[in-house]
Amino acid sequence: MDKRKLLHGDWQGATSWVVILALVIIVFSFINPRFASIENLRNVLVQASVPLMLVVGATLVILMGSIDLSVQGIMGAAGMVWILMSPNARGGIDYGAWAWVVATGIGLILGLLSGVIHTLFRVPSFVVTLGTWNVGVGLATILYGDSLLPSLTSEALSQWPTRLTLGLPNSFWLASIVVLAGILLIGFTQLGRGILAIGNNEPLAVVNGVPVIPIKIAAFGIAGLLSGFAGILATMQLGSGAPGVGAGQLFTVIPAAVIAGTALSGGEGGMVRSALGVFLLILLNNGLVLAGVDPNYQSGVFGAILVIAIVAVDWPQRDRLRVAK
Amino acid sequence: MNNSVKPDASAAVSPGSNSQSPVAGHFSHLAFWQAMGPFLVFAATVLTVSLVNPAFLGGTGIAIVTGAAASILLVALGQAMVLHIGSIDLSNAAIALLGAILMAMALPTFGIAGLIAVLVAVTFFGAVNGAIVAYCQVPSFALTLGMLGIFEAAALVTSGSETIYVTKNRELVTVLYHYRLAGVPLTFWMGVVVALLYWALLRFTSVGQGLTAIGKNEAGAIFAAVRTGWLKVLAFAISGFTAGLAGITIVAQAGSASASGLGSDLLLPGIAAALVGGTAISGGLTNPVSVIFGALTVAFVPIAVQAIGISAQAQSLVYGIFIIVVVVLTTTRSRDEIIK
Amino acid sequence: MTITIPPVVRLTDIGCTFGSVSAIKSVSLEIQRGEVVGLVGENGAGKSTIIKILAGIIPPSKGRIEINGIICSFRGPKDAFKAGIGVVHQEQSLFTNLTVAENIDQHRSGADWMSRIGLQRWSRVNRDATAALQKVGVKLDPKTYVRELSFIDRQMVEIARAVCIDPAVGGTPLVVLDEPTAILEPEETAVLEREIRNLKQFASVIFISHRLDEVLRICDRVIVMRSGEFILDKPSKDVTREELFSAMAGRHSQESQKGHARSPKADVAAIEVRELTRRGQYRNVSFAALPGQIVALVGSNGSGSDSVMRAMFGAEPHDGGEIKVDGRRVAGWSIPRAVKAGLAYVPAERKIEGMIGGFSAAHNVAMVHPGEAAIGPIRLPHLRRKVAQSWFNRLDVHPNNVVQPLVYFSGGNQQKVVLAKWLNSKHMKVFLLDHPLRGLDAGASETVNAQIRQACDSGAAVVLIPDTIEEALDLADKIIVLRDGEVSARYDMTIDSNLSVQDVLEKMV
Repeated sequence: MDKRKLLHGDWQGATSWVVILALVIIVFSFINPRFASIENLRNVLVQASVPLMLVVGATLVILMGSIDLSVQGIMGAAGMVWILMSPNARGGIDYGAWAWVVATGIGLILGLLSGVIHTLFRVPSFVVTLGTWNVGVGLATILYGDSLLPSLTSEALSQWPTRLTLGLPNSFWLASIVVLAGILLIGFTQLGRGILAIGNNEPLAVVNGVPVIPIKIAAFGIAGLLSGFAGILATMQLGSGAPGVGAGQLFTVIPAAVIAGTALSGGEGGMVRSALGVFLLILLNNGLVLAGVDPNYQSGVFGAILVIAIVAVDWPQRDRLRVAK
Repeated sequence: MNNSVKPDASAAVSPGSNSQSPVAGHFSHLAFWQAMGPFLVFAATVLTVSLVNPAFLGGTGIAIVTGAAASILLVALGQAMVLHIGSIDLSNAAIALLGAILMAMALPTFGIAGLIAVLVAVTFFGAVNGAIVAYCQVPSFALTLGMLGIFEAAALVTSGSETIYVTKNRELVTVLYHYRLAGVPLTFWMGVVVALLYWALLRFTSVGQGLTAIGKNEAGAIFAAVRTGWLKVLAFAISGFTAGLAGITIVAQAGSASASGLGSDLLLPGIAAALVGGTAISGGLTNPVSVIFGALTVAFVPIAVQAIGISAQAQSLVYGIFIIVVVVLTTTRSRDEIIK
Repeated sequence: MTITIPPVVRLTDIGCTFGSVSAIKSVSLEIQRGEVVGLVGENGAGKSTIIKILAGIIPPSKGRIEINGIICSFRGPKDAFKAGIGVVHQEQSLFTNLTVAENIDQHRSGADWMSRIGLQRWSRVNRDATAALQKVGVKLDPKTYVRELSFIDRQMVEIARAVCIDPAVGGTPLVVLDEPTAILEPEETAVLEREIRNLKQFASVIFISHRLDEVLRICDRVIVMRSGEFILDKPSKDVTREELFSAMAGRHSQESQKGHARSPKADVAAIEVRELTRRGQYRNVSFAALPGQIVALVGSNGSGSDSVMRAMFGAEPHDGGEIKVDGRRVAGWSIPRAVKAGLAYVPAERKIEGMIGGFSAAHNVAMVHPGEAAIGPIRLPHLRRKVAQSWFNRLDVHPNNVVQPLVYFSGGNQQKVVLAKWLNSKHMKVFLLDHPLRGLDAGASETVNAQIRQACDSGAAVVLIPDTIEEALDLADKIIVLRDGEVSARYDMTIDSNLSVQDVLEKMV
């Protein structure tokens, strides 16, 4: 095992991140002392779990220079499938573990679908995933129908995400496992190396015999699977099924990845940095709410952060002959 | 999505970098879709509805569909102009909604002057998008995604998450929806007029030619002295302005505006209508007149879906599939181009 | 002893044609173990085609390739690596976001069980890379990221990658170095030379360079290519610089049709550059073109001539010096301003920069100077077609269909349309042409050259980057030779009327 690779590529600048995060915590604690309380920080960890799981998939896709806009749709579909197969207010059969398998399977299939259409039909990823986003929302809405609200009836399940294990909430442990898997995937597998190579220079990757198409499909598949998984967790946290369970997540995940230095053009960035980006945004959001700022501002703040981040990244590369679409 | 014009690194290592011209067959296939496709798809949709529900077209059905299509059409026309230069504007539906809210707030006090002021403001919002895309050279989808968040927040904050009713001067705009010409509300006719104007702009002016050149080959346009920067600003400003007009149709129909009410879900239908209307996602191929049929088709979807016996809730599923299928059918694909 | 071992490379009767053009006619070649072979020739002589065939990027149209005695037919670059051919391309071909070790490992994945199931064993990858780096004698940490390396170090990594090719095949690897010294500083070149001598111990090398001194110093044998053929193949010690020059230049030199007594139409330069400089591209380039004069910029790839021309058109910035149009210094120069001032530019990359393929031919003709097809900002499609039709008749464009998208025309006819786009201007002052004849057949070339002469006769100053030196000698009144970004010679054809291709070549390389 070579730790240098990890330390070098991904953790670079991690100290400055810690400083920034500490500053955010200090500033907000002055505004509202409750911010730094253990309960609130646990709360932050719970809030961060879903975007942490999503950012792993999003980073894989962005590292290739593509984009996955479908997270919210897939979350809706997977979450709805899961709750309808779990003990809920509408009755029906409790399929137990099969609910998890089927729900994440839906995510995987939608992700693979995006990847296949993107690569084989050579359609830009942002359009395909805009499509799969809505396919997901549509599936969730149809499943929701117009009958009774499918709220979770099993207390064990609904309380599981916030219950503490070793002092930290379960949902955060789950997210940590996913992030760890993402780190290992990028650092220690051929798939990870292929993803980085594609993002750095795709024509070169083709010439070097990197299996570009299978890698891209796999990355979109993994992203879909994780979106499905995140959909289940979000549904559990919410306590009932809703097609819009993923609302706003896209605005957390993409800005988080971008401010963490994941270039939208691909090749640069990493899991650790993206995860720190998520923490920054969630802390910011939580702090603003506790500081009494209208939560309606949230999407605006995250949107502004995204705009500033992409402009800052692309500014040095401006050239009068450069084509940006 | 970023390419440097300078033919560098990839040239020597990419196999067959002397790009093969796309086969002429694909060109004619595309041209056919461009000319006839949108109309044929529309005709098929109408036929389906009239077969299953013959009474629909006889009554007020046409007024309802065209009324619903008006805002979709306007958002789609703005989107089509941005797609025409090879970019995308994910924020224009949010601009439309913000515009509607601002108009509902301004109308009682300022009347028509308020409407015009809001139109100027939303045109400026669009121009800001364009200026950032053109001069900071950022990918438009990411920028407008961020802007979408900002405009959504602005809509929520200005309206205080409540429905803004037009308490005075309401008739000034609602007449556009309620007055019908040939059984079709004025709001839709407004869209038709805008479509014809944009068609003429693209076909008969140097500005239109420059926009098309950017969409077809931006590097070639730069070397042909096309002022690509300000034309991009213009395209996004047009998108903002047209979104403002869509805002008018929203207020005209509802007599009110809110961040979650009528018109809060126009982004997808707008893109779908532009694409079904024959607009190529890769740019350079847009016929605003065909977009009219695209918008009508998309407005028919919920009705058609219901007519076939599926719940109306499936519409976003249908929009999603629409977008994927239409893009797969119409994207020009050359072998050595890198698609991100 | 070497007689019993098959040669590392044996090419027999290799030919390669693109459409009707044959880039390589018929070449045969044998390279023995440990041999360093220099390959020289003018631009377009076919060197790069040979390399692409060896690298598996393009298949030959005929002939046989044998590597270490095995007949090969490469379906892609991967097959070439497997056969033991490592190419260091002119452009860097490393993934800058991966480590040195990962880059070196790129061509040999699947070497252990962990790789086969998709895992990356860092210890193995790093160990192999260390071995490869040691083999070429470079002290580099394999865990460094390529983006942090200097240019010469990256070159070394490429060489290390090229020599550590699949050990399973056995035999001697062949390393192809395509202009590796083009962008290196002198001391870096010295490092590279040492490296190449070191390579001889276990590999064969094909070395391509436009610097003849280097070639003679480094190589055991030199091959000269011209027009897709091997003209000369001799041991370095038996050949002189002069011999190489005349082989590269061919017979044309004596009998080119000079003596075009063109006199300038005015004595204020239509365009002038003074001390023009761009870091890393060109330094202190000065020359002027008078109205009615043709100036040729001659230089090999990487000489900076194309960048100078782009700076003149406002397409690229420059760091120092100035550009004067009609005697006045220009500031804030950009393409729209240049075009307004009466400049025109035909780029070398026709399909990407020179035209808008998706537009009809008529649109392309009336793109910049619509002439009568425009009333102010209004464009009139039927008049546009009329304008285009008159150019189609004049330049004999086939097929005679002005509304067909330009991509569907042949290269020659596309170039005629590109010329018409600029010639449709009433007030062209300066005509900049970068490789205007690239990829054209004889007929189209003749039409293009005739139009260049005519533009010049009607008072435009022409600046030309020709494909060949003969082209420059045929057309130009003045020749400016650039070498490695600096002007190395200037010729005035009215004075130096017996200038030969060889004279110019000596200043280029």
